[in-house]
Amino acid sequence: MNPGKFSRLITFLILIFFYIPIAVVVLFSFNASKSPVWVGFSLLWYKELFTNSYSIWKAFWNSIIVAISASFVATALGAFGAIGLYWGKFKGKDYIWIISYLPLIIPDIIIGVSLLIFFVFIKLRLSLFTIFIAHVTFSLPYALMIVFSRLQDFEYSIIEAAYDLGATEEIALFKVIIPISFPGILAAFFMSLTLSIDDFVITFFVAGPGSTTLPLKIYSMIRFGISPTINAISTLMLAGTIVISVFMRKYLKYIF
Amino acid sequence: MLGSNVEIKNISKFFGDFQALDNVSLQVKKGEFFSLLGPSGCGKTTLLRIIAGLEQPDSGDVLFDNKSVINIPANKREVNTIFQNYALFPHLTVFENVAFSLRLKKISETEIKERVEKLLYLVRLEEHKNKKPSQLSGGQRQRVAIARALANEPKVLLLDEPVSALDAKLRQELLVELDNLHDQVGITFIYVTHDQAEAISVSDHVAVMNNGKIIQTGTPYEIYESPANNFVATFIGETNLMKAEVRETNEEFVRVFAKGIGEFECYKDKEVKKGDKILLTLRPEKIKISSKPLEGLNSFHGIVEEEIYMGYQTKYFVKLDEGYILKIYKQHVNYLLDEKIIHWKDEVFVSWNPNDSFIIEVEEN
Amino acid sequence: MKYVSGYTLWLVIFFVIPLIIILSFSFLEKTPYGGVNFSFSLEGYKSLLTIGYLKVFWRTVWISIISTLITVLLALPAAYYIAKSKFKNLLLILVVIPFWTNSLIRIYAWIFVLGNNGIINQFLRFIGLIDSHIQFLYNPWAVILVLVYTYLPYAIIPLYASIERLDNSIFEAALDLGCSKRKAFFKVLIPNIKTGLITSIIFVLIPAMGSYAIPDLVGGVNSKMIGNEIARQLTTAKNWPAASAISSVLTLITLLGVILFVRNSKKEVLN
Repeated sequence: MNPGKFSRLITFLILIFFYIPIAVVVLFSFNASKSPVWVGFSLLWYKELFTNSYSIWKAFWNSIIVAISASFVATALGAFGAIGLYWGKFKGKDYIWIISYLPLIIPDIIIGVSLLIFFVFIKLRLSLFTIFIAHVTFSLPYALMIVFSRLQDFEYSIIEAAYDLGATEEIALFKVIIPISFPGILAAFFMSLTLSIDDFVITFFVAGPGSTTLPLKIYSMIRFGISPTINAISTLMLAGTIVISVFMRKYLKYIF
Repeated sequence: MLGSNVEIKNISKFFGDFQALDNVSLQVKKGEFFSLLGPSGCGKTTLLRIIAGLEQPDSGDVLFDNKSVINIPANKREVNTIFQNYALFPHLTVFENVAFSLRLKKISETEIKERVEKLLYLVRLEEHKNKKPSQLSGGQRQRVAIARALANEPKVLLLDEPVSALDAKLRQELLVELDNLHDQVGITFIYVTHDQAEAISVSDHVAVMNNGKIIQTGTPYEIYESPANNFVATFIGETNLMKAEVRETNEEFVRVFAKGIGEFECYKDKEVKKGDKILLTLRPEKIKISSKPLEGLNSFHGIVEEEIYMGYQTKYFVKLDEGYILKIYKQHVNYLLDEKIIHWKDEVFVSWNPNDSFIIEVEEN
Repeated sequence: MKYVSGYTLWLVIFFVIPLIIILSFSFLEKTPYGGVNFSFSLEGYKSLLTIGYLKVFWRTVWISIISTLITVLLALPAAYYIAKSKFKNLLLILVVIPFWTNSLIRIYAWIFVLGNNGIINQFLRFIGLIDSHIQFLYNPWAVILVLVYTYLPYAIIPLYASIERLDNSIFEAALDLGCSKRKAFFKVLIPNIKTGLITSIIFVLIPAMGSYAIPDLVGGVNSKMIGNEIARQLTTAKNWPAASAISSVLTLITLLGVILFVRNSKKEVLN
């Protein structure tokens, strides 16, 4: 059945709706004036961003540090978790699935608030480290599910075949299980990176003084009102997103 | 390579409340092609997995060459398996799949290369050695699985429905190949299948299983020609089952009366006496169909109810005067030169040698 | 089991225990500068029963439901069109790009367009149509607009995935049996993509219920949602039991909602 005119119209309206605001933001990042009236082309705001915005770059590097370290830990723990759930026969699997699904259906703000109260309660000073813990926590279930979904493409007999051919548990793990789940592990890593770089709400609660990440910085800049520097950051981040999206396309099927 | 003889002693296995295997015992001789045949859920795959060491029985023992292997884990047993879905490693090339077990041993690279290439030659995959499993056809994948399982030089090769995923024509070809391969390597093959034609055509011995028990063990000829009971008779090939009552007996034959057919003679396969209720089997290809009655045979009159032309043979369903519908397969030796070609609605006589109908079950009076 | 232990331990320590802590703190007494006294009190919950809070709860629920409805109604035809389109890979990428784009940037884009100093107001001022500005933002409808904008890709993607998996011949069978296109859509498509539909509703409704940044940045005083109230209790009011109590109630509402919703939809599928 071919889709009708109606669904085509809706789709194109949605795409226009998606891209008009973004396009306007990108266009005005090249505006020569501070106010949003087009005066002429200029790279003024990029120059400003690259030469005169120490705090933005500090926030950027904070985001990168947290994203990479949290994604490594989340991917490693999540991948081993998925392998264990796929491979092992043990009681309590259902409970592990429940605590894996819960973070996905509980609003982000609750995770942020509960972690903040938890950190204060155990007297852990808020810093990049607490942000790192929070980011690992919310990325973990995604990492687990992505790797698990990859493993489900294979029948369990592949592990039995490895044993049958003389492999020990370690050999089956390193020569068979990890290599076959590798695309899933990679997808999980990139998913965690994106989630971490994107997160605002949870980070907002668990960040301490001096541990501002890029979304927190953008948030405080937006509160001061519109500024072409934000347009310039947005344009650069958008460019990064497009590159990552195109790259991630191959792995999308493990994410949904 | 040399095979082992395999002995299964009193194996039982439960999955929760379900008894998959019920005190199963059997013996497989060294170098034999042995089939485990039965419908799905009969326990044949569980038995195979217990021999492989992938499953532990609740009780009983598995012996290779009279030594118990029950405490040897799967990765140390001298047995390899060809899995139903082949379970090839998708990230490795054909060569590396076959080399997998060799690389786990301390074997030099040149010897690995030599042995893998020999195996790939054996299964005719030399040209595909650098391909990944996803680039191969179903039949090629199966051959990789065979080469991989043989690489370790096992004494016993277990095959779990290895051709069931392939289409009918390829299935026949690969079956012949497996048979040839068995002759070449000379090790013990234990073959699990639900397809009676496969089991009969390649095996030295067949064990027919149902509901976790072995019903009958024997050569394909014995299983087909003298099935032990109703289940084996109907599971292996097709047959006419008849309920009858014993009227008279002598040394070799029994005179019986079957409702829907009448009185006739059959072979005295089991000890019976007058008045016993029995179950008889008669294979459809053993029955002759003709327009005149035949001398010296059991012969009855009937009408052709249905006629199915199959090319190499015709299947007839003949309704006897007393009501029983008999299945008859007529082989076309010289179809067009037959005295009269029999068609639908024709009046016919069906005849068979008393030797060909025999008793499979007896209910004593 | 050993492979799962790191994962499980982490989630128990940093997810389950903090949840238990806020649930227990919601029943304790507050101290003036944040923190709690370890004595039982229902003050945290009592403060929720004021008119002001009930209003915020009610607003959160209706804003979330309307945003979800609009989002899913838009997502359904779009997902269907993309799944059947010749250019589905390109269209999918076009949907995924906003999905991966930083959510603050997407909020900023609307402030930049519709804000009091945004381009529309600047333009209207420039051509002399108005003197100061028209206030497009800082009301519940602005919140709904940005919620729909933010979560539309979240709704399209699971719907797309479940439509794409469907065998096209079931539509041909429906048309062959004399079904109209419109009927085939409701009688054949919808029942068969139930899981995708449930997923996309959950993907939109839950973040909407817990939204903080969107009402904070584009909502006015009369469009604050529960998320903003939790943050205010925690940071400015320093009332931990109240913040914990609101959080517990919000968690309970979403969990119950999801469980009831999923269970009911399953029943319908079975019937």
